[in-house]
Amino acid sequence: MENQLRNAIRKLLEEKTVDVAIGYGRVGVGGAVGAVFVTDPSEVDRLVWNAECRQNLAVHLSRPEVKALGKPAIVVKGCDARAVVVLANEGQIDRENVVVVGVVCEGIQGADASGVATGTLLDKCVTCVEHAAQNVDILIGDAAKAAELDAANAPNAKTAGKQAKLAALLQKTPEERFQYWRDEFSRCVRCHACRQSCPLCYCNRCVADKNRPTRIDTSATLKGNFAWNILRAFHLAGRCVGCGACSAACPAGIDLDLLNLTLANAADEQFGYVAGKELGAAPLIGTYAENDKEEFIR
Amino acid sequence: MAKIGVFTCWCGENIARHVDCDAVSNAVAKLPGVHCSLNYKYMCSEPGQNMIAEKIKELGLTGVVVASCSPHMHLKTFRKTAENAGLNPYLVEMANIREQCSWVHSDREIATAKAIELIGMAVEKVRRNHALEPIKVPVTKRALVIGAGVAGIQAALDVAAGGVEVVVVEKEPSVGGKMAGLSETFPTLDCSQCILTPRMVEVGQHPNIKLMTYCEVEKVDGYVGNFKVTIRKKARYVDITKCTGCGACWNACPMKGKIDNAFDFNLGFGHDKKLGKRSAIYVPFPQAVPARPTVDAENCLRLKSMKNGKELCGVCQKQCAANAINFHDQDELIEIEVGAIVVATGYQLYSIGKEQENPNIQGYAEYGYGKYKDVVDSLQFERIISASGPTGGEPLRPSDGRVPEKIVFIQCVGSRDNAKGITYCSKICCMYTAKHTMLYKHKVHDGEAHVFYMDIRSGGKKYDEFVRRAIEQDGAIYHRGRVSKIEEQTVDGVKKLMVYGADTLSGKPVVVEADMVVLACAMTPTTGAPQLAQKLSVGYDEYGFLSESHPKLRPVETNAAGVFVCGACQGPKDIPETVAQASAAAGKVLIMLSQPNLTREPEIARVDERLCASCGACVKACPFQAITKEEIRDRNGNLVKTTSRVNPGLCMGCGTCVAVCPSKSVDLIGFTDDQIYAQVESLAD
Repeated sequence: MENQLRNAIRKLLEEKTVDVAIGYGRVGVGGAVGAVFVTDPSEVDRLVWNAECRQNLAVHLSRPEVKALGKPAIVVKGCDARAVVVLANEGQIDRENVVVVGVVCEGIQGADASGVATGTLLDKCVTCVEHAAQNVDILIGDAAKAAELDAANAPNAKTAGKQAKLAALLQKTPEERFQYWRDEFSRCVRCHACRQSCPLCYCNRCVADKNRPTRIDTSATLKGNFAWNILRAFHLAGRCVGCGACSAACPAGIDLDLLNLTLANAADEQFGYVAGKELGAAPLIGTYAENDKEEFIR
Repeated sequence: MAKIGVFTCWCGENIARHVDCDAVSNAVAKLPGVHCSLNYKYMCSEPGQNMIAEKIKELGLTGVVVASCSPHMHLKTFRKTAENAGLNPYLVEMANIREQCSWVHSDREIATAKAIELIGMAVEKVRRNHALEPIKVPVTKRALVIGAGVAGIQAALDVAAGGVEVVVVEKEPSVGGKMAGLSETFPTLDCSQCILTPRMVEVGQHPNIKLMTYCEVEKVDGYVGNFKVTIRKKARYVDITKCTGCGACWNACPMKGKIDNAFDFNLGFGHDKKLGKRSAIYVPFPQAVPARPTVDAENCLRLKSMKNGKELCGVCQKQCAANAINFHDQDELIEIEVGAIVVATGYQLYSIGKEQENPNIQGYAEYGYGKYKDVVDSLQFERIISASGPTGGEPLRPSDGRVPEKIVFIQCVGSRDNAKGITYCSKICCMYTAKHTMLYKHKVHDGEAHVFYMDIRSGGKKYDEFVRRAIEQDGAIYHRGRVSKIEEQTVDGVKKLMVYGADTLSGKPVVVEADMVVLACAMTPTTGAPQLAQKLSVGYDEYGFLSESHPKLRPVETNAAGVFVCGACQGPKDIPETVAQASAAAGKVLIMLSQPNLTREPEIARVDERLCASCGACVKACPFQAITKEEIRDRNGNLVKTTSRVNPGLCMGCGTCVAVCPSKSVDLIGFTDDQIYAQVESLAD
């Protein structure tokens, strides 16, 4: 599959269909997998595809320095592909001007503190029903195998993995839950790695970086940490695709994805809305339909 | 360095009763930036305003806070005062220490402390205020009137008389609306057509009026002063510029006397099948303006055959000396630019027995409308007794053309009936029912006119006298009560309608053996009124009546700037009221269009285009479609970035965009986040 991927990218670069390919490569300390930007067809062998390709590369699509490289091709997993759709729907990329190369992903493994793969699948992969990336231009891998994996996960998609963790948290009393987040957020150092790793945090200047007025404490106070993390979750309501990049990037190990998942579940249950499922879909927030549920208005 | 003046008002006793104004003045005098702090019994009075003006001039104040009532009440007053004294009016803020303090607290100490905090917040805000200039928007000096019934005609004539161009759009082939079909009008009994047709002719001929009949509003873009309206000119199949209205075509039409005429509310008569029927190419009534025919595509033999690729009939085209008939005519979309819009789409009658458009409303199957031919609604009866109606004014009943000896009139059919879904009073039915009884009695002297009513509502100049005349001089028989059922029976070979009702004054059931029944049904807005309201961003109620901006003080304005309403589309009303409201709307249009520019409040949203990430959240959220995505290009035409941009002519300053913008790259001038945070933070000490 890795060779298939390399061949496809080589063809795109050779035929000048694209100017740059954004893919995975062993670029980190000790050969850890990260993003590589290939512009020369002779260098496509730098590209890898394996169960350690954790990052969501879509984050690079809206970066001005990447845009400066020209028309991109991007390698995406099922979850990442939905982020590309949201970026297109929100006008951040011209979908016609990006070649999206989807891969059939059989699941990504977690890593231990030193970055070595643990062999166990990530929580999000346990409930994944998009093993083959959707809304892509080229799909690499065995679609039939992906369908099998989807079918295997489907029965537990709403209950296993991260959903199970969220359900356990929601079992607790509001006071216990508040205490949980208090403990978690007290570790936040406000490095904003969550924001930097998120493909949908593309604002030119983040509200957290503005100081007239200062809406969020800039230093890592508990109040400011609450404000920041909850505000970020709200800004992702109806937009977050659940790629887990924020949780993975957090040096304090805060499971930020739980906040996003709560809102994603609400969007699905209340409005039947799944972010990034459909190209051209109207955004959830700011769109009114006559048959919208209004039960939450009391 | 800020020099802020704080002026605390007692509002007589209103504020001073629970707020210690001296203590407030002294406390706020110590706030940073406050240069003078005074209080007075009535700040809005002339001496009060003079006090503010003098201090502005004397001390060179850079900001003013008036602590008094709601800004809704007096912000304009105090801004004017400041402007006259040479201070930019937008450097004036109000602290509401009446509605939000003295009126809702009785503890003097607590209320005083709260007043000081409220003023402190306003001081923090005004310190961050900037001098603003009102926005000037150019105006297109042309008005659009939608609907050409009596309301639209009056509004158009008045606006045109004021020297402003008017485009009148009417969906029917002729102007005139419902009034053109009425018999005689209460309370003077003058002939409806005699008073209306001169106006119809004037609308057709006025140099300032462009009449567009058989047209409908398709789309409305733009904003106050600069609307772009797309109008659908429906295929008429007759070129009205060539046609002379000679009548050769409609007399030759093989469908002549075979088609129901909507102008006669589809009346038909058993004794003469051609009575009230028209041809497929037709003028709805002889006085129509324009007096030019229209081809009814549903019934025209030629047009029907063309759908099957054939060319049958075509008699009218052969008869036409002016060569005005074109069977290949198509709908046309025409775009016009106007500065103001008057909506005068009028009413229709509630459809008694038939299926209802509005699922919350039910019909009266028990009255047999639609089943018994001699049960008619009030507008049909108007045509039956109209001198220009199908019977030439002879009161003949539809089933067999006999002159009815006894007619039952039932009021409040639909109106004021919670059980059927319409709660309001249709207002005109008491009057026209009295008129109907009179007109009938004047024609059939020994006839009996029975009226079933709930209450008689005849408020208005000479209105109650009119009803008394119907009862006392013309002998109409009024029963206070409802009718439960109507049944058709044949008595001595003649069809009769048995009307079962009650007279609650005598407490007895009443059964009337009638020849005809007339139902005074509720007035409802015309079909499509809510859809039109949506195109215009005008509010409407659960029945589809358009909402005025304020029921008392802004009765013809709507909440959509530049859109006005008049006539029955806004609520049930009679002709005099409709005409008065139409003239009022015309006056408002003329006021608006008399200015070279429109002045709008400068407190609107503004996007920081350097920071906007162009996610489009504000574009979707804006309720006024005031925000668009725009491209910024360098001088060589290369795209630099895309950004959201606010149209200052459309923005109403609601702030929804500020709430949805994730990076807060849009702000509301005059209510910036900076100001609001400062206000909140002033409370935190």
